[in-house]
Order: sequence, then structure tokens, then C-alpha cells
Amino acid sequence: MAQRIESLNYDRLIPILNWVAGGALAISLLIIFFYAPTELTMGNVQRIFYFHVGSAWVASLAFFIALLSGAAYLRNPARIWDTIAVGSVEVGLVFTTMTIVSGSVWGRPAWNTWWIWSPRLTSITVLWLVYVAYFMLRGAIEDDERRGRFSAVYVIAGFVTVIITFLSIRLLRDIHPVLIGESSEAAEGLQEFSGIDSLRMVITLNASVITFSLLYLAWLANRIRLQRLMDEAAELKMRVMTRLQG
Amino acid sequence: MADILRPTEESGPKTDIVKEATPLKEPSFINAVLAIAWKDLTMERRTRQTLSVMLFFALTSVIVYNFALFGDLGAAREVATGFLWITVLLAGTLGLNRSLMSEQENHSLEAVLMAPVDRSAIYLGKVLSVTTFTVLMEVILVPLFIVFFNKPFWRPQVWGILLLGTIGYVAAGVLITSMSVQTRTREVLLPVLLLPLTLPAVLSAAQVTAALMEAELPTWTQVQFPVALVVAYDVFMLTAGFLTYHFVVEN
Repeated sequence: MAQRIESLNYDRLIPILNWVAGGALAISLLIIFFYAPTELTMGNVQRIFYFHVGSAWVASLAFFIALLSGAAYLRNPARIWDTIAVGSVEVGLVFTTMTIVSGSVWGRPAWNTWWIWSPRLTSITVLWLVYVAYFMLRGAIEDDERRGRFSAVYVIAGFVTVIITFLSIRLLRDIHPVLIGESSEAAEGLQEFSGIDSLRMVITLNASVITFSLLYLAWLANRIRLQRLMDEAAELKMRVMTRLQG
Repeated sequence: MADILRPTEESGPKTDIVKEATPLKEPSFINAVLAIAWKDLTMERRTRQTLSVMLFFALTSVIVYNFALFGDLGAAREVATGFLWITVLLAGTLGLNRSLMSEQENHSLEAVLMAPVDRSAIYLGKVLSVTTFTVLMEVILVPLFIVFFNKPFWRPQVWGILLLGTIGYVAAGVLITSMSVQTRTREVLLPVLLLPLTLPAVLSAAQVTAALMEAELPTWTQVQFPVALVVAYDVFMLTAGFLTYHFVVEN
């Protein structure tokens, strides 16, 4: 599998992925602003919801892929697994930041505050810190093989924060609405937003989830190509060095 | 291995654990875990370099907290549970660093790795010994908190949640510290990696501890989810460490 991913023709694949993701982004923007109905209690602000849920979904997907490629790296230390893990954590962090920012903008009209230390907001902040620290760990190790091994272990341990962030609103009393599954009874009275109540909302949400997933795929492919060029450049540098010395 | 672990002089306690870990017979998993933990405790008994640092740090912190909130004893009492957990976290970082750094410095880890035992047994042994250090520190720390903050820290439930939180913290800590001591920045890196990673468990544990400080004890339904979260965290981290530790100590 590692070889199959390695041997893809990225120079041809990337332009296609970039155009597909860009096109999908344009289409879902149109859907969000013109096709989706205006929510009754919240009005136009509710449209943030599609960005918020879309990016939260892709962030968890990216961290899950990072977990899988971390495990794959420990089984078979191929360079590509490390690259996929780094790329996924990078993209996941961008989407987590987008989730936090869009949630904050939503919170201002919905809860009358930009920020509140509720369990969900606390746990996603912790998640963000954990994955930023991933790059601190990588930066502190020089040896490629050891860096790959250690960051694979770290990315597996760090996934606990994704699980806890997912569970936080389902187990603890929280102001944040629950979209999938039941919310705890205690939190019911706290929530102003009823969730999705029309088919057009479902379609819009799915469109934005698919779009952001495509965007992730395109960014990841770009990242793999970038890593390859970096490795190539490092190798060329080494060759020039040995030539100059010898 | 037995010869290395055993003191050369005749005095000193003779234990079955060490006797059974003869080089010819492969020790059972449990015995290997206990032998590793026993080795750490013996080392600590002779050098006293980990626990003393942790204790002195904890003592200094408690005094500093009191100075920081000098004028307002009411405020100090409100935040006492937070202080307790912060002290455990930071003193724990010192203990972890000390405990694993000395292995690294003296290259004694390599000797331990040569033993015919599973890597995960080494991990669990380390978790056991560092948890023991941290709990010993807590045994001294909690009375200090009772004296200085006048809150009911003596309740047995407080000890339960302290133990649960400490296990999760140390389980993540041994895994992360074993990596961080092998990096360029060493002890600087540890808090940056470990504090965020252990926050989910510690925040929930602190929440439960705070609930236990009320005049009336909370009912089980009030604290079941945070407690469940801490237990789930412990299980996850112990499993992750158990499965991945040999990738961390390999060279």
C-alpha cells in the first residue's frame, strides 16, 4: 500500500485535485448562500454552521488519518506514512482553527459571547495545543527515522483528545448543540438551536462536508509532493557537498 | 540481571521478586514489572534524588500560592483544588524527568533493555514506580493543603480521584518523557508536550475534586461522567503506552 501511494503520479494528479476542490468550493459557497433556507430563530448567522461542521468533520478525519498512518509507520517505517501523518496534522490544525474561529463568530450572536470555557470549547483548545506540540516534538529531533517513530507514537497518544472532544458534549453538560446522536438530558434546556430541520439543509451540509474533504485530499497531495521535492533538494545538497569535499 | 539488581553486600531486604528474576529463567510478566519498579524504588532509596526534588518543589509552590493570595484567604480557598492539581502536574514533570533522565545519562536503560523481558513490562514498571513517587508526594502535599487552605481534602474520595488522575498522568508521562529525553531540547520539551496531552484527564479530575470540596458530598450521578472520563483516559493511555513503548526505547 505504501508503494502504491508512493508511486502515484503527483505532477498529473495535483492539478486535477486542485481544480476539483476549487470548483467544489465555489459550488458549495453558492449552495450555502442561495440554496440553503434561512433558519427561523437564528437567521443568516446560521449559515456559518455549514463551514463550522464541515471543517470540524475534516479536522477529525485528518487526525484519524494521521493516527492510521502513524500506526502504519510503526508497522512498516516507510517515508510516505510519516509524510501523510505530518500533512494530515497540518491540514487538521488549519481546519481546527477554522472550526474554533467560525464557532466563536457563531457564539457571539447565539450565546452573546465570543468565548466561554464550556467542556467542548475547553477540549478543542486542548486538542489544538496537543497537535501544535506535535511540531515541537518533530523540531527537536534531527534523525529522520527517529523523528518518524516518535511522532507516530505521539500522534497515536494524541488522538485521545479527538475522542474526548467528540464525547464532551455528549457526556457533560454543555452549551454546545449536539448534531449527531443524543445530547445529555441536562443540557437540553440550554440549547437554542434545533439542528437540521429541512432537506435543503441536509443537502447543503453534505455538500460542504464533501467539499472540505476534497480540499483536504488536494492539500495532502500537494504536501506529499512538497515533501518529495524537499527530500530531493536535501539529497542534491548532500551530493554537491561530497563532491566539493572529495 | 539479578546480580545487577541485588546489592553486593549481604545486608538489605531479600525479596522473592528479585530472586526469581534469575538470568536463566525468563521471569513472568508480572515479576518483570515488579522487578523494574523495585529497581527504581531501590535506586530512589539510595540516592533520594527524585522524591526530594518533587517534595521540595511542592512545598515551595504551596508557600508561593499562599503569598500570591496573601490578602484574600477566601479566594485562596476557592482555588485550592486548582492549586493542588497544578502542583501535582509540575512536580510530576520534575519527577518524570529525573527518573528517566538518570537512566539516559548513565546508559542504564540499555542494561535494562538487555534483560529478557517484554518492553511493555518495562513501561508498566516505570509507570508503577513513578506513580508511587507521585502518590508519596501527594501524601505529604495533601495535609499541607488541609493546613493552609482549610478544605476537606481528607475525604477518602479525594484520594480515589487523586490516584485515578495520577495514573493517567503518569501513563502518558512515562511514554512522552521516554521520547523527550532522547531529543535535543530534553527537559524543556517535556512540559510543552505533556501538559496539553494530560489536560483532559486532569481537568476532569480537578472538576471532581472541586465538587468534593463542597460541604455536602456530591451524589454519584453528579460526578459519574467526569470520573468515567478520567478512567477512560487511564485505560487509553496505558494501552497506548503498552503497545507503543518498544518503539520509543529502540535505538
